[in-house]
Amino acid sequence: MPFVPKKQVFNAHINEVVLGVGDKATAIGGQNVLPFHTFDAEIKNAPKIGAELTDLGMAEYVMPGEKAFYEGCQTVADMAKRAETLEGVSFLCLHFEGADPNGANKSVDECVKLAKEVSDATSLPLVVMGCKNIEKDTELFNKIAEALAGKNILVLSARDENYKTVGASAGLAYNQKVGAESAVDINLAKQLNTVMTQLGVNAQSIVMNIGSAAAGYGYEYVASTLDRVKDAALKQADTMLQMPIMTPVSSDTWGVKEAVMSEAEMPEWGSQEERGVEMEVATAAAVLAGGSDAVILRHPESIRTIHKMIQALM
Amino acid sequence: MYQITFQFENGANPVETAAAPDTTVLEAARAANVAIDAPCSGNGSCGKCRVKILSGQVEGLQTGHISDEDYADGWRLSCCTKPLSDLTVLVPDIASAYQSRMKTADLSSGEEMAIFHKLEEELKASGIGFGNDFIQCRVRMDAPTLDDTMPDTERLCLGIRSVSDCQQVRLPYFVVKKLATVLREADFDLMVSGERKDGVFSVLDIAPAADAAPLCGCAIDIGTTTVSAVLMDLQTGALLAKGSGGNGQIRYGADVINRIVEQCKPGGVKRLQQAIIQQTLVPLVAVMCQSAGIPVHSILRVCIAGNTTMNHLLLGVNANPVRMEPYIPTFYAWDGLRAGEIGLPANPNARVILSPNIGSYVGGDITAGALTSRIWDKDEFSLFIDLGTNGELVFGNREFMMSCACSAGPAFEGGDISCGMRATDGAVEGVHIDKDTLKPSLTIVGAAGQKPVGICGSGIIDVIAELFRTSAISAKGRFIRENPRIVYDKHGMGRYVLAASDQSETGREISITEVDIECFIRAKGAIFSAINIMLSSLDFSVSDISHIYVAGGIGSGINIENAVRIGMFPDVDRSVFEYIGNSSLAGAYAMALSDEAEQKVDELAANMTYLELSTNPRYMEEFMAACFLPHTNRELFPSSVQE
Repeated sequence: MPFVPKKQVFNAHINEVVLGVGDKATAIGGQNVLPFHTFDAEIKNAPKIGAELTDLGMAEYVMPGEKAFYEGCQTVADMAKRAETLEGVSFLCLHFEGADPNGANKSVDECVKLAKEVSDATSLPLVVMGCKNIEKDTELFNKIAEALAGKNILVLSARDENYKTVGASAGLAYNQKVGAESAVDINLAKQLNTVMTQLGVNAQSIVMNIGSAAAGYGYEYVASTLDRVKDAALKQADTMLQMPIMTPVSSDTWGVKEAVMSEAEMPEWGSQEERGVEMEVATAAAVLAGGSDAVILRHPESIRTIHKMIQALM
Repeated sequence: MYQITFQFENGANPVETAAAPDTTVLEAARAANVAIDAPCSGNGSCGKCRVKILSGQVEGLQTGHISDEDYADGWRLSCCTKPLSDLTVLVPDIASAYQSRMKTADLSSGEEMAIFHKLEEELKASGIGFGNDFIQCRVRMDAPTLDDTMPDTERLCLGIRSVSDCQQVRLPYFVVKKLATVLREADFDLMVSGERKDGVFSVLDIAPAADAAPLCGCAIDIGTTTVSAVLMDLQTGALLAKGSGGNGQIRYGADVINRIVEQCKPGGVKRLQQAIIQQTLVPLVAVMCQSAGIPVHSILRVCIAGNTTMNHLLLGVNANPVRMEPYIPTFYAWDGLRAGEIGLPANPNARVILSPNIGSYVGGDITAGALTSRIWDKDEFSLFIDLGTNGELVFGNREFMMSCACSAGPAFEGGDISCGMRATDGAVEGVHIDKDTLKPSLTIVGAAGQKPVGICGSGIIDVIAELFRTSAISAKGRFIRENPRIVYDKHGMGRYVLAASDQSETGREISITEVDIECFIRAKGAIFSAINIMLSSLDFSVSDISHIYVAGGIGSGINIENAVRIGMFPDVDRSVFEYIGNSSLAGAYAMALSDEAEQKVDELAANMTYLELSTNPRYMEEFMAACFLPHTNRELFPSSVQE
């Protein structure tokens, strides 16, 4: 008797969330099978890749490969146009590192202006990432959500401390998509989704960022949390965990010592750029295999590699 | 050195002490034996150690616990304040409450006694006899003469033999030592108290017949936060007095771990033993004896129910191994202590019964409580829940019993809650909130017209459940409605005002803050997740439980509907629940009175299995899931609805 594999298709599915408007709008989630289980059922939307652009501009891009790719760009808007040309990039993630009051402390108005410039320069969907300072991010997200009304952007992210204001402005007043960020804990992720929906934010407008870590930096927790979130969403049909997951990978991996130490300091480790790309690729591959529906990457080489991986597995 | 004078709001005599410039006011107070409540051990996080600087200069930052108005008025956290000159400091009543508020209960209504009498009836019905070997007899002897030169001891033994059916009499040193004096003072007419067993009369104490007191026993429940006790007549079982007070060790830390850490510091063993004996039990028993009109030395038997750590600290035994892996206590059960050996307030010769422990974190309070709950006498399955600083559970029936403990913190007893207090006069024990106006109506412990002082455990359950029902707070415990009763401080922390400052007894606003709510959610989360893990580890579900007995000093009762609404207890038929009050004290009362009850508790302790939750890999996750109103998995609480 021939072997007939049993199809593992679930009645529940991950919510499909569309980001952006027009031809370049992109959808994440929507599947009713485990990650890359294309042999069980067709996966509605392949996992998506977003290119991270920091508001600090070209000065921050020091790796030879990055410099070469963005060569000639003067402004962040120029960089956005360049990133759009890279195969595999479905959305752009504008990371407002410079808004941090403990750093460059750029004004909210300045950030809003930049967001508009980038939005005008590209037709790709836009994801806005904050500086991790709760108060500043809250104000920043409110103003950007207002300025880019109708663009269907995603703000990344509302957290336990500011979900009320961020959810109310981005999600309710300006009808944008809202990220829900928690710290690698299935219960905290679900609790945040629950209070956001109780606030009135549509569950279909929420994208989760369940937290991550660079490979080797406590990634086991991320792996198990991803597994269990997908399990609860699909097998137990838990509607409060069916939101698609977006994982900012580059912001974690480019900060660990493997990516930070220069070749001069660590000659035995070899090329710094290669190491950085490898950390980014390894982590992104792992979160995608675990069930992340989108990743945010920075280095063009990482984007190319992960894009190839996704194509090969779909 | 600066001179610090502590004055007390409750009128106690001022205390003067000298303090070095870099010591905090709290440290100076501790050195001078002035009790200021500091459950966080003085790191500025709990906000309980408020004092008012009446004169002098101080330095220290204003923390979120002190409002601008109060700060301008001189209020400071004593742990964050250092003197810059001589000071006069006012210690408010609420901060010293744990020391000063020894309360005796009014036994005249009979309500307080009901639980003890009910237990006695139930235990008798379960075949536990309420007899004991105590005997008191009047012995009249002939005064010795030159012709009758029998020594005092022989004269007394002869006298005892003639009035009792015992052939052998044993006299302790304690009695022999004072015999000559007492016999002559009493003109050879004595009241002898002792134990009669197998034809042997063991004398415990003697007193002149003229001023003989009844043979008394004392049962004490030593909780981490609260201590309560009853005095009873050992022959009739009648209750003579009931009292409660805060555990004097509270200023050395709110939980058992902090206490053990404190015990390990130089002089700590003695400090903690004195805090519980001299500063807690001695005054508590003194007020009870006074109200009962009996001398302290007429207490001839003491039964103590306390958790493992409390027992160790009481006896002055090193408790550190209880805290360190593999968590081994010096003893589970130990028999042979006499009150005089550790200076307990009782006859020095009184035997001290320690209710046996069954694990490092499941102590004698639970074995005594298990006796009270009588789950060991039923075929159907029961769950016994003791809501204390350590939440403890026992599940089982006639065939088996399993127990576990979880750290709930002192919130159920009002500790670690900004306006929390024990369930004594002035405590808000019940709250109803109007859905539209958010106006509360309060039930307050005490005589009619009593103004509120603070909130006790049952009141906290009610106020959180009501705020949740009226959608004033989110499932995370944050305020989400706008209302004049919900106010925010400059740090953005919200609070709900139950009584404005002009409506309270103390002149201070009574409110519940988001931090209080968060703290309480953790306490209830610890209880519910422990229930969940224990049942699932035995492959039982909540629907298998026929009785849920809830015990603890949270108030005179508990609103079960509200406790289920916030996800503290499983959402099962409400008729399953029964609040049995302080079961540990009731169990200790039975053990003090009845030898058979004492044996039964030993038997229960030996037959109870202990489940260690801290090593259970699922506990942390279950706990996180339960720290939500009512629970992250909403399907577990279908009847908890918001309006």
